Amino acid sequence: MSRTRLGRWLIAAPMAVLALATIYPLLFTANVAMKTRREYILDRFSLAPTMHWENIGTAWNSVGMARYFLNSLIVVTGAVTLLLLFGSMAGFALSRLRFRGSSALFMICLAALFIPFQVIMVPLARTMADTGLIDTYPGLILAYVAQYLPFTVFLMTSYYRAVPAEIVDAARIDGNTVYGVYRRIMLPMGAPALLSVGILNALFCWNDVLISLLMMPSADHRTLMVGVTSLRGQYSDDIPTFAAGVLIAAVPVLVTYLFLQRQIADGVTAGATKG
Amino acid sequence: MPRGSPSPVRPAAPGRAGGAGAGTPLAGPAPVGGSRRDRDGRRSERLAPYVLVAPAVLIIVVLRLWPLVLGVNFSFTGDGERNGAPVGLDNYTALLDDPLFRTALRNVGLLVLMLPIAVAIPGLLATFIYLRVPGHRLFRSVYFFPAVLSPVIVGAIFNLLMAYDGPLNAVLAHAGIGPVDWLGDPHVAVFAVVGVHVWATFGMALVVFLAGFATLDAALLDAARVDGASLPQTIRHVVVPGLTRTIQFVFITTMIGMLTSMFGLLYVMTGGGPEGSTYLPEYYIWVQQGQMNRPALASAASTALFVIMLVVGLLQISVLRRVGRDD
Repeated sequence: MSRTRLGRWLIAAPMAVLALATIYPLLFTANVAMKTRREYILDRFSLAPTMHWENIGTAWNSVGMARYFLNSLIVVTGAVTLLLLFGSMAGFALSRLRFRGSSALFMICLAALFIPFQVIMVPLARTMADTGLIDTYPGLILAYVAQYLPFTVFLMTSYYRAVPAEIVDAARIDGNTVYGVYRRIMLPMGAPALLSVGILNALFCWNDVLISLLMMPSADHRTLMVGVTSLRGQYSDDIPTFAAGVLIAAVPVLVTYLFLQRQIADGVTAGATKG
Repeated sequence: MPRGSPSPVRPAAPGRAGGAGAGTPLAGPAPVGGSRRDRDGRRSERLAPYVLVAPAVLIIVVLRLWPLVLGVNFSFTGDGERNGAPVGLDNYTALLDDPLFRTALRNVGLLVLMLPIAVAIPGLLATFIYLRVPGHRLFRSVYFFPAVLSPVIVGAIFNLLMAYDGPLNAVLAHAGIGPVDWLGDPHVAVFAVVGVHVWATFGMALVVFLAGFATLDAALLDAARVDGASLPQTIRHVVVPGLTRTIQFVFITTMIGMLTSMFGLLYVMTGGGPEGSTYLPEYYIWVQQGQMNRPALASAASTALFVIMLVVGLLQISVLRRVGRDD
């Protein structure tokens, strides 16, 4: 017994080192963001002697981070709302209603899951340009919805399959329409899945850079992640301000992770264990 | 998972008068007589499933499936002054002649070779966490964390760390290892970027593995322990056979991740350089479309990427299936 216990600690030691290596880059960046330029050049590793919060302010004010932040917020909110609405509607119909062509429609959604954005980005950009949707909020929102809808529909369908049919039947006997069942039964019952899928979609959209770069070319329409890429050129000789900008962009995700780690993991693994 | 939905709602069940029940006037015009209202209600009920799936299906067909057809079609037409004209396979021959695209393909090969490592690391770590090494809860949270960060942020952080005069080289210098130009040496940069990608995403695969472990029969593991099986034996004879499906899933999603979610890292860390050594097909597509204004060539590269993904995916499934059968 003691041999196996020793063995466990022997395994835990390198795992702890790895955990440190996983978290260190972010701690390093946070520390750098609190230094002055001079302090950083003199010693990169030492703890910041005093917290220079003004770096955060400099980064926030000087490159339009506030604007980018707002752009991201608008686009993510719009995209996630539509994804959850359309995804739960389709998931309900495909899992709990019987109608002609339902399995074919489900297959269509499933097939789209295997088409990466890179494969369709050229014609999609052209379509968006033709319809005047390029460089607009609705255009980018629509691109995100198209990108993450197959996954959302798939997850909501498999989640709703686990809702007992009796509940739906009972609601129908009580005189609810199909829409009423959706609104009064399926939406509330789907809350855990909607939360999981919603957070995951929010992360995907918030973190994306390729779609946003392609769909929102003009400078004042940049999303936060595209904004971060432009920080580098601007502050190549002022690393602490650069680090502060990176930190601003990371904080929303960090906070989300701290509070909703479980839901994120559930969303990631649902695809693996279901279907 | 209940596949065929048992006894679902039947829209517009005959005989249940007033499908559009009291208090929910859904059907069009104001109801005049009872029968008219019933008919409208029933019709609306029959259409309801289609109304519910319509937005999702429309968006998916118009903005995902149709562009695939357009793109393939597009790849057989010309760019520039030959805009729109049919050019046969010219774009594809141009691709194969382009050293940048050839590098991109070679890097795909490299990724495929590194795939087993990228799967084995999270698999092994998940095994240890499942076996409850001390601190397993903390490890799980910490390892998963970088997976939620944007590649842009990860790339920016590692730009700092891997700079020639940056902290990583400073640490290595203490150990007597000469400075490595992580992102500036064509022979090193691609490994640096892939390494960062693995660092940033292994938590994703780890969580999937752990979900797979949850479905594993604990009695088998207990039996292995009672029989005095060593850890490697347990992994070889209990864990791997029990997780075939999960392993298959992780292999495929990791591959897809490597081929389609490294753009942010490349964009921030190397910009495809040095000397084009870190090009991947997705980066090539973006450059041809956005910078070079050669959308038809980009479409050909897109189609090539799609074919690569299909081939690699199918190969993996068949190989893994054969391995699974041997056990």
